[in-house]
Amino acid sequence: MTQTEKLVNRLPNDVGGLPADAIQRVDHELEPWEKRCHALADVLDFHKLINTEEKRCGVEALGAEMVAKLSYYERWIVAFANILFHKGILTPTELALKMKEVESRSSEG
Amino acid sequence: MDGTSKSAGPLSGVVFALGEKAIFKAGDRVRVSTRSPIGHYRVPTYLRGKIGSVEKAIEPAGIDNEEEGYGRNAGSKRHYYRVAFRMSEIWPDYAGSERDGLHIEVFETWLERAER
Amino acid sequence: MTHQHEGDDHDHDHAHPHAEIGEGRPGYYDIMETAVRELLIEKKLIGADEIRRQIEVLDSRSPALGAKVVARAWTDPAFRARLLANGRAACEELGISFYDDTQLIVIENTDKVHNLIVCTLCSCYPRPVLGLPPDWYKAKPYRARAVVEPRAVLAEFGTIIPDDVEVRVHDSTAMVRYLVLPRRPAGTEHFSEEELAALVTRDTMIGVVPATVDITGAAP
Repeated sequence: MTQTEKLVNRLPNDVGGLPADAIQRVDHELEPWEKRCHALADVLDFHKLINTEEKRCGVEALGAEMVAKLSYYERWIVAFANILFHKGILTPTELALKMKEVESRSSEG
Repeated sequence: MDGTSKSAGPLSGVVFALGEKAIFKAGDRVRVSTRSPIGHYRVPTYLRGKIGSVEKAIEPAGIDNEEEGYGRNAGSKRHYYRVAFRMSEIWPDYAGSERDGLHIEVFETWLERAER
Repeated sequence: MTHQHEGDDHDHDHAHPHAEIGEGRPGYYDIMETAVRELLIEKKLIGADEIRRQIEVLDSRSPALGAKVVARAWTDPAFRARLLANGRAACEELGISFYDDTQLIVIENTDKVHNLIVCTLCSCYPRPVLGLPPDWYKAKPYRARAVVEPRAVLAEFGTIIPDDVEVRVHDSTAMVRYLVLPRRPAGTEHFSEEELAALVTRDTMIGVVPATVDITGAAP
């Protein structure tokens, strides 16, 4: 078995039985964008544009570092973007330009 | 044809399509396969190779979630099974009660018949 | 919102802003979500009304719904039987729709079995009847440990189960979702359904704690 085999054939979310810390009894009220993101996931599933299993697969495909460093809904929205690119529904350029435009709205006076 | 019914039962001579009928039934001993796929899977690593008992074949048949993860929204249907495992079977050093157990749904393509 | 960091490689399953968000300006992922949504709406692949409506759907689902289901099961044996036979159908009797098309299995705690729900691979949770899961349910410690040391996990929630009672962990990895039907606490024989529902918290339906009578003394 090579050093890297486990990186390849064990998904970063497959944590059952791995060593872990005490449970942190944290909970937080969803930020508005997180709730919109959850609603978006549901609507994408209703349309079968991105079904729930595809979403899970997309989050897994982010890889161990992003899965560890991005928060729950941050992982979802990045996964959605990637899946939509793969399906030819959006292009990276389209999304980048739109993000630039959205960001510029909040810096206007 | 006098209207009285014989005992209910499946009609003979009806052939099921491949994969249409549940292979396992409640009480069957099954082993979780030991393959290690890359890409999407829904059978956790901690269960690979473990032996449990089928609690129930879940009806109706469902889409293979490994294929569903890549965009298949219909077809490719087989049965999922609720399988019961003893904790002591899963974890050699299990520290809780010998009675403790775990239930999980597993797709048919991940189960093999095990001897008792 | 307070939480502790344990070392540098802590898990970010609990969302907290890392970037400076000044004066209510949206963060990077907020912008990304807005951009993705607006593009999909522009392309007529989804409707703005659908998103708005789905937010309302999510806001309407909370543990209060599950509590009502449990209280009904505690007081109506026929409903209880239907609930245990087909969780989704019984919830639908009470007007709880399953917008995500999942199946629901309701599992009863007894004097012989204590049930605990986890999703080791992600965060599967009976959202139509309980609302959104708490952060700890989605984070690595619970998901990693519930399947290997459930009694230690339960103890962290203050729950001790005797050795002669089976602790049964349900790892929901496929299309079925689980709801624990906790045992009705003793001394509640004269409680109304509404008073019973008030005893049923989210955590009792995940299975990390049993239902108990409010120690401050819920008036019968």
